[in-house]
Amino acid sequence: MTEDDGRKMRDALKKSFPPFNTELRRDLWPQILRRLQDRPARMPWYDWALVGLSAVMFLAFPRLILVLAYHL
Amino acid sequence: MDLDLLQRFAIGEIDAFEALTRQFQGEIYAWIVRIVRDSGAAEDLTLETLWRIYRARHQFRPDGNFGAWARRIATNLAIDHLRRKRPEEGLMTEPAGAPPPDPLVQQETRTKIQMEFRGLPAKLQMAATLALIEEQPYEEIADALGTSVGAVKLRVFRAVRILRKRLNRLGIKPA
Repeated sequence: MTEDDGRKMRDALKKSFPPFNTELRRDLWPQILRRLQDRPARMPWYDWALVGLSAVMFLAFPRLILVLAYHL
Repeated sequence: MDLDLLQRFAIGEIDAFEALTRQFQGEIYAWIVRIVRDSGAAEDLTLETLWRIYRARHQFRPDGNFGAWARRIATNLAIDHLRRKRPEEGLMTEPAGAPPPDPLVQQETRTKIQMEFRGLPAKLQMAATLALIEEQPYEEIADALGTSVGAVKLRVFRAVRILRKRLNRLGIKPA
């Protein structure tokens, strides 16, 4: 490809794709904020681990439920 | 760039993210719209970029370049968009207020060039759009793609070669 070929192709492309308005017409922050607020609250992994551990303990030692109920 | 602002963003402070969004949203949009040349899609992709920036805040190093990082995320999303988009759709996105057709390049030829260009592989198309149509510096394109200037030049070269072959097959010789 010669330099002249490259220039011709660039000119043809520039004519086929006219300049585009690159200005953002509105503020996107309100939409971002809505998305942040809509985000479901996620439980961290250590909370799940605690729930799992408690379930295992209660299954293995059912009397612990009574001990827990007494202390609540 | 305010280091304190970036540090607050990295630990998830919404106020800091809002300040960064307001500061960079125009720049991100301008970069994306140059690649996808569709204002609606560019707005959606800008939103998605900002969302991903927020989700990836823990990976951002506050002493790094926020603008370059944002541009890289935006570029990846824009490339994915080009991959999904069919070449025919590109023809419908003539910008409003575009200048009248140049007499040297007739409407039909322009349409064929647009179609063939839209049919190029996404990465080649993106590099050629930014380098040849938008005349962005090669260094900036390379940074956004996370590659070298040489690799960008090679992509532009390959894009032009493929496009010329396809246009020749249609009997079009760019003058």
